[in-house]
Amino acid sequence: MNDYKTTIGIEVHCELKTNSKMFSDSINNYGGVANVNINEVDFALPGTLPCMNEYGIELGLKAALALNCEINKKVVFDRKNYFYPDLPKGYQITQARNPIGVNGYVEIEVDGVKKKIGIHDIHIEEDTCKSTHAETKSYLDFNRNGVPLIEIVSEPDMSNEKEAMAYLEKLRELLLYTNVSDCKMEEGSMRCDVNVSVSKTDKLGTRTETKNIGSISSVGRAILAEAKRQIEELEAGREILEETRRFDEKKDCTILMRVKETGNDYRYFPEPNLPPYTLEDSFINRVKENMEVLPDVRRKTYLDAGIHPVNVEKIIANKEISDYLLGLNCNLVIASNLLLGEISAYLNKTEKKLEETKLSKEKFTVLVNKLDSKEINNQIFKEIVDTLMETEEDINKLVENQKANALSETDLTNIVEKLILENPESVEDYKQGKDRAIKYLMGQIMKETRGKADPALANQLLLQKLSEQ
Amino acid sequence: MNNYLDLSIKEIHELLVAKKITPVDLVEECYTRIGENSDLNSFITLNKTEAIEYARKLAEEEVEVDNLLWGIPIAIKDNISTKNIRTTCASKMLENYVPIYDATVIEKVKAAKMIIIGKTNMDEFAMGSASRTSYFGAPKNPVDKTKITGGSSGGSASCVAGNLVPIALGSDTGGSIRQPASYTGIVGMKPTYGRVSRYGLIAYGSSLDQIGPMTRNVYENALLLNTLVGKDKKDLTSVEREKEDFTRLIGKNIDGMKIAIPEFFVSSIVSPIIIEKLNHVVEILKENGATVEYVDMKYLDQVVTIYQIITMGEASSNLARFDGVKFGYRAENSESVEDMYANTRYEGFGTEVKRRIMVGSYLLSGENAKIYYDKALMIRNALKQEFNKFFEKYDFVFGPTTTTVAYGLDENLDDPRKSFMDDTLVMPVNMAGLPGINIPMGKDSDNMPIGLHIIGAHFEEARMYQIASFLENKLK
Repeated sequence: MNDYKTTIGIEVHCELKTNSKMFSDSINNYGGVANVNINEVDFALPGTLPCMNEYGIELGLKAALALNCEINKKVVFDRKNYFYPDLPKGYQITQARNPIGVNGYVEIEVDGVKKKIGIHDIHIEEDTCKSTHAETKSYLDFNRNGVPLIEIVSEPDMSNEKEAMAYLEKLRELLLYTNVSDCKMEEGSMRCDVNVSVSKTDKLGTRTETKNIGSISSVGRAILAEAKRQIEELEAGREILEETRRFDEKKDCTILMRVKETGNDYRYFPEPNLPPYTLEDSFINRVKENMEVLPDVRRKTYLDAGIHPVNVEKIIANKEISDYLLGLNCNLVIASNLLLGEISAYLNKTEKKLEETKLSKEKFTVLVNKLDSKEINNQIFKEIVDTLMETEEDINKLVENQKANALSETDLTNIVEKLILENPESVEDYKQGKDRAIKYLMGQIMKETRGKADPALANQLLLQKLSEQ
Repeated sequence: MNNYLDLSIKEIHELLVAKKITPVDLVEECYTRIGENSDLNSFITLNKTEAIEYARKLAEEEVEVDNLLWGIPIAIKDNISTKNIRTTCASKMLENYVPIYDATVIEKVKAAKMIIIGKTNMDEFAMGSASRTSYFGAPKNPVDKTKITGGSSGGSASCVAGNLVPIALGSDTGGSIRQPASYTGIVGMKPTYGRVSRYGLIAYGSSLDQIGPMTRNVYENALLLNTLVGKDKKDLTSVEREKEDFTRLIGKNIDGMKIAIPEFFVSSIVSPIIIEKLNHVVEILKENGATVEYVDMKYLDQVVTIYQIITMGEASSNLARFDGVKFGYRAENSESVEDMYANTRYEGFGTEVKRRIMVGSYLLSGENAKIYYDKALMIRNALKQEFNKFFEKYDFVFGPTTTTVAYGLDENLDDPRKSFMDDTLVMPVNMAGLPGINIPMGKDSDNMPIGLHIIGAHFEEARMYQIASFLENKLK
C-alpha cells in the first residue's frame, strides 16, 4: 500500500474585495437579504452589456504579482458557454485564453522543508448566483451573481495533505495581506476544488476532483480519504474514473457527484462587448510599488529582530498587530510582547480594534523605549496601560505620576526585611530547600504592597535577604 | 384629414412653433394612417394611449425652437429595449416581455422629446433579410404589397416608406437598415461601429450590430443621427468623438471627390437594371467634378461566409439567456431543468433562429472555434485593412445596395442561404465597422425602388450625408 504516490493539484476561487461587481455597477455584497444588490445587467435582461470594474483588474494583477506570476499585459475576456440556472447570461465572462498571470509559484514549508508550489495561472472572472434548493423548488440569489472572482490554478506539485494545507494557508495569507480577498472559507469567499490521483509509477494516475470543501483542515482530510479510496479501488483491480466528488465531513469520505463526460465543450470565444486593452507599465509599477509588505518579508524582519518563532507566527496570524508593527522604530521584541500580551488582552476585553484606541504609534514607541531603557518596569506599564489606550494623556506625565506612586527600592527592601523577621518558620523551610516558602513570602510581599511591587525585583531582593540569613 | 405627415420635418416644426398644430395632431394622424394601413403589418406593438397622453403634455409646453425633432413621432424597431413598452424581437420567446429599462438611444429619443408611436416588425431576433421570420407575420412593402420589405428592419422601412411615421430607428448587423431601405425606397444609415450606443439593443452579432436612422430623406436622417450618437459608459465599444452636426455639409458641392467602385459590386450577380441606374449616378458624379474609378478589392466575395460564422457564433451565445428561467417564454410541464431548457427553446424560437443557434454552436465547438471563428476574425481584419488602404486614396466606395429589387412575399422561401445572399453587397460595411448609407437612385419598370450604397471611412458620416444629399437632389 505504501508504494503509491499521491499527486495533488488545487483550484482556488477567491472573491475580490471590490465595492461593485466585476461587470456591472451594482454593489458587491451578499449574504443578507436576497436579490437586493442587482440591476438589469446582473439579471441578464435582453440588450444589457457588461461594463468593466477597473479595481477588479487591479486586484487580480496584485494577486498575480504576489504569487510571483508572469503578467499578461493584454486584458482580454472570453465567454465560457454553458447552461445552468445560476448562470443568467448562459455564459460566464472569464479569462480562458489570456489569464492575467501565468507560471507563478508560492513557497511553502512543511516539517522544516521548503518547497515551491507552481501556479499554472490566475485568471479573473465573475461569480454565479447562489442557489438554494427546497423540496420541489430552487431559489436563486442574484446578489452573488457577477461578484468579481480570481481563480488560482496550481500545478500538480503537492504530494500529501500537509503540503496541500500549507499551500492553502500560504495562499490565504498572501491574499489577506494584499487586501485582495477576505478569504473566508466558511462564508464562501474562498472555495477549493482538489484534484487527487495516485500512482505507483512516474506516470500520473487518473484524477478525481473533489469540490467545494468547507475548510483547510477538511481539505487535508478529504485528500487522505480520497487517496485511500483510490488505492483501495486499484488494489481491488478496479479502475479510477474521471469523476467529480464531494467530501462528506461526518463520514470522512468522498462521495460521487457525477462522472465527467469526455471533454466539456464550453465553446470559448472572445467577449465582443469588452474591447481588449493593454495594461500600462506605469500602472503595473504603481501596483507593485504600493503593494503591502508580504508576510514572508515580515517574518524575516521579526526573526532578525530576535522575536521568538512562536511569537512570529502569532503576529503573522494577526494582521492587525502585524500591520501595527510595520515601520516601528524600537525594540520589536518588547513591542511584540506588549502587543501579543496586555494590549491583545485589553482589545479582547473591550472588543475594540487597535485603531479604535488612543494608542498612537508614536506613543507606543515612547512606551517601548522607556521599557527598553528600564526607565519603567513591566509593573508600571501594567498600571498605565488602560489609561494609555483610552485617553490622550501625556505618556511622560503618566509615567512620572506612576513612579511617584510606586514603591522605591528602599521601601521594598524594608518590607522584605520586615517580613523575613515576622516569618521565621518560612525562613527555616527555605533553608531546608522547600520551594513553597518563597511562594508564600512573595504572596505576603504582594499583600503588604497591595500589588505595587515589581515581582522580579521583589523576588531578587527576597532571595538576596534570605541568603544573608 | 390634414396630411401634416406629408410635410418635411422642417415644415412640421414651423407649424408647431407657429402653434398652428400641436404634437397631438401629428400623433393622431400617425395612428389614423397606421389603422388605415394595418395590412402593411408594420407594427408589432402600438404605444397609443401613452403616446397621445405624452403629446397632450407636450402641447402644453413651449416648443423648443432649436430642436427640430421636438414633438415628432418616431417608430422603434422591436429589438430596442423600451421601458414599459413590450419588446418582442418578433419572437414568441419574448411575446409578453416588458422591459424595465430604456436603451440608451431611447433615453436620447425621449430627451429630445420625440414621441414613440410603437415598436416595428422585424425578422425574429433580426435573423433574416425579408422580415418573414417574424412570429407576427411579415410586414409588407408599401410600394407593392405583394413584395417583401426586406429585413431585418422591415417594419421600420415599411412605416417610413408608407409615410405612417416620419422617422424610425432600425438596427443593422449585415445590412438590416440599408437593404430594406433600398427595397422600400427610403434613406437608411448604418453608422460607424461605436458611434451609437448598443446598450439596450437586443444582441444578434454583438461585434457587428449598430443602431441607425431610417428616414424619408437625407437631411432628416442626419438630423436624427445627431441625437443618437455619443460615448456611453454602459457600452464599452462606444467611442468618444467630438460633438458634430451631421447636417452641416449638406448643400455643399462634391467637386474633387474621389469615388471607388469595386468590380465585385458591379459583377454579374447584380441585375442589369440596377447597374444601369448606378451608371447614371456615375455620370452625375463626373458631371459635377467628382472622379470615379473601378477597382479590384480583395475579400469581398468571401464576406457572406465570414459573416455567417461570426454572427451565428456570437448569436448562439447571445441567445443563451433565453432559457425560461428569468423572463420570457417558459415551457410548462417539464420533468427536469434540462427538459425545461430544451422545450422552452424548441417552442419559443422560430426555425431560422434555431438553425442559426445550432450552426453557431457547432462553429464554436471544440477545435472548430480555431478552424472557423478565429480564421473568420482574421479575414475580417484583413478586409478592414483593405478598406483602410482604399480610403487613403478615395473618399467613398460606391455600389448598389442590393443585387435585385424586392421580390415577392412568397418567393425564395425554401432556400435558407438566400437571406444571406440578399445582403452580399452591404455586409462588408459591418465587417469593417464602417458607415454605410442607402439612398434611392431610381426605379425599375415595375416601379420597385433601387438603392445606391455609399460607404465612407470610419466616422465620415457628415461627408457621406453631403454627397448623398447632393445626389438625392440630382436624382429627383
